[in-house]
Amino acid sequence: MKVLNKNKLPAVFDKLAQQSELFVPLQKKEQSGFYSWKSFDQASDQLALDLLNVYLPPKQVLLPQTEKMYSFRQEEGGVAISEVYEESQARVIFGIRACDLQAINCLDQAFLTRGFVDEFYKARRDNTTIVASACYKPGANCFCSSMGVNPLEPAGADAIIRDTGTEYFIWEARTPAGEELSRQLAEFLEEKELPLPQSQAFERQVDMEGVAEKLSQVFSSPLWEELSDACQTCGICTYLCPSCYCFDIQVKNQGEAGYRFRCWDSCMYGEYTLMAGGHNPRASATERFRNRFLHKLEFFNERYGMPLCTGCGRCIIACPAGIDISKIITAAKEAEWSA
Amino acid sequence: MDITGKIREIAARLLQNGEVDLFMAWEKGDLPFQSKPFFARRVEDVERIIFDEYSIHNLSNALLKFRDRQEKIGLVVKGCDSRGVVRLLEDGQIERDRLYIVGVCCPGMKDPLQAMRDYSGFNRNPEAAPLAAKCENCIQPNPVIYDELLGEEQPPRVQGERFARVRELEQLSPDERYRFFEDILSRCIRCYACRQACVACNCRTCIFDETKPQWVGRETSISDNMMYHLVRASHMAGRCIECGECERVCPVNIPLMLINQKLIKDVDNFFGPYEAGMQYVEGAKPPLSVYQENDPDDFI
Ligand code: SF4
Ligand code: SF4
Ligand code: SF4
Ligand code: SF4
Ligand code: SF4
Repeated sequence: MKVLNKNKLPAVFDKLAQQSELFVPLQKKEQSGFYSWKSFDQASDQLALDLLNVYLPPKQVLLPQTEKMYSFRQEEGGVAISEVYEESQARVIFGIRACDLQAINCLDQAFLTRGFVDEFYKARRDNTTIVASACYKPGANCFCSSMGVNPLEPAGADAIIRDTGTEYFIWEARTPAGEELSRQLAEFLEEKELPLPQSQAFERQVDMEGVAEKLSQVFSSPLWEELSDACQTCGICTYLCPSCYCFDIQVKNQGEAGYRFRCWDSCMYGEYTLMAGGHNPRASATERFRNRFLHKLEFFNERYGMPLCTGCGRCIIACPAGIDISKIITAAKEAEWSA
Repeated sequence: MDITGKIREIAARLLQNGEVDLFMAWEKGDLPFQSKPFFARRVEDVERIIFDEYSIHNLSNALLKFRDRQEKIGLVVKGCDSRGVVRLLEDGQIERDRLYIVGVCCPGMKDPLQAMRDYSGFNRNPEAAPLAAKCENCIQPNPVIYDELLGEEQPPRVQGERFARVRELEQLSPDERYRFFEDILSRCIRCYACRQACVACNCRTCIFDETKPQWVGRETSISDNMMYHLVRASHMAGRCIECGECERVCPVNIPLMLINQKLIKDVDNFFGPYEAGMQYVEGAKPPLSVYQENDPDDFI
């Protein structure tokens, strides 16, 4: 098997970053996420491949929180588009976990299928190569295995690294793009037989069987209010979620010229559903809270055949009110929903 | 009887007699450090109520969910939370006679969010301290408004100079200070959790949600981020009751209390002596809530 010595990682990254924009999990002072290797600062940053995961999800690489779309200028007789900012340069995401990769598979569904293609997303996605890191030690809040994810075989990866617990990662190419990476990195890869690490059991599990169907019947249940009592509609759960993809399109202009950009939005915000006439169909926290879970566990499932939650656990970790999606899933099955 | 037992007793009595329609307290999650807001609506719910060293969440903010409704509400408040209730009363957000306030003299809390981060596998270095940062700086652990008071009175917990970190920042040159704020605010993801957690952020339509016109841009850029924080900070002047919830909930650990403390110090200095939310006097007009001809303005 091919193996990669961990102490060669900086050299590997330097090499990959020559031909592409490389994103790796970094701890940057108080914050952790997937950042461009170019931004790596020896003095304050640390590579976070050894951590279970990073707080800010890698969706940022394919769906930046703020993304310029085009700029325009008002001219005689109309408006001229002066520049379109599609980004098609090659990208590599290195060290993504199976849950976060499944979240990208969800984004692919939303942005590329059913006859709707988001050109900005596609330009990035088509040129992105993904090296996933297999998980042998799930964390206390991980429940990907219950959400159709195999943490040992990240679906959609071009190559997979497996941390053996020694100084080596096992390296496996999975697709032609992955083979291409193996060729590029040939000087760093060695042949060596190493035992695979033992995979550990999940502490947290849920049963998704029948959840979507059940949720489709309880829209008007008064239980939503009690479930959402603690929720502050702060949006942390959606911004840290690797699969939440809602965005808004806005404009900034000065005088005759300006640009349009899109930026993440969240169904937890009041303004999200505010209509031009001032009516808001989801005025209360309960309605927004319900929407978040129905989108993740019911509507998305109905449309694309997979839940929009991949069990990464971030929302459970960061919710100030202790709201836990795995509990909502369990409640969907077990709770008494009628009044 | 311990505090939990006493709170349950009070809640059961109030719900039983119909004196309140719901009772806000905390309940336990699965993990030992998980204590989270819980609203009891029926006498049977009362046994889920707990009060322990992780009951840090400021429940006063949750009253805003009920401001346009009729329910009578019982709630448990610590020192900081009670100042939050004063904030809401002064701001005319809820009527005093809709509330039954159970005050608990607070021995200081630990932060369940911090404990969760340590437990998550996402953190390299455990952060958990014996007490949450906001509690280390607490000047008022005892409730300032209540119908019933539980626990032993506690001394203020802040040690040494209260505004030491603010003074350090004040010593920096404007350029250094700008770089400091640029550094911390550039990582803001504009989730608005600091606003949502804040009892003083109780405007019906928040300026950041206004679209006609849009006052503050929605880009995560240093200029829009700074604008957001400048505006929120100035809206907190004289109004922040120092509950620390904004900083505690921030998912990217921005030291927001530095900004709030600077404002607390300046308001006290220029318009005070004043400490927000320390007492409720009906009809009182705290500094900056009304225009005063002799308000100083030479720092503008
Ligand atoms: S949820 Fe699964 S894939 Fe994600 S970090 Fe945990 S074990 Fe790994
Ligand atoms: S569920 Fe939690 S993180 Fe999400 S909006 Fe509600 S309080 Fe915030
Ligand atoms: S809903 Fe929560 S657990 Fe599911 S993918 Fe999003 S952040 Fe992860
Ligand atoms: S600004 Fe922060 S500390 Fe002040 S009242 Fe709001 S949440 Fe509490
Ligand atoms: S909670 Fe933190 S990240 Fe979110 S808007 Fe406030 S300062 Fe920014």
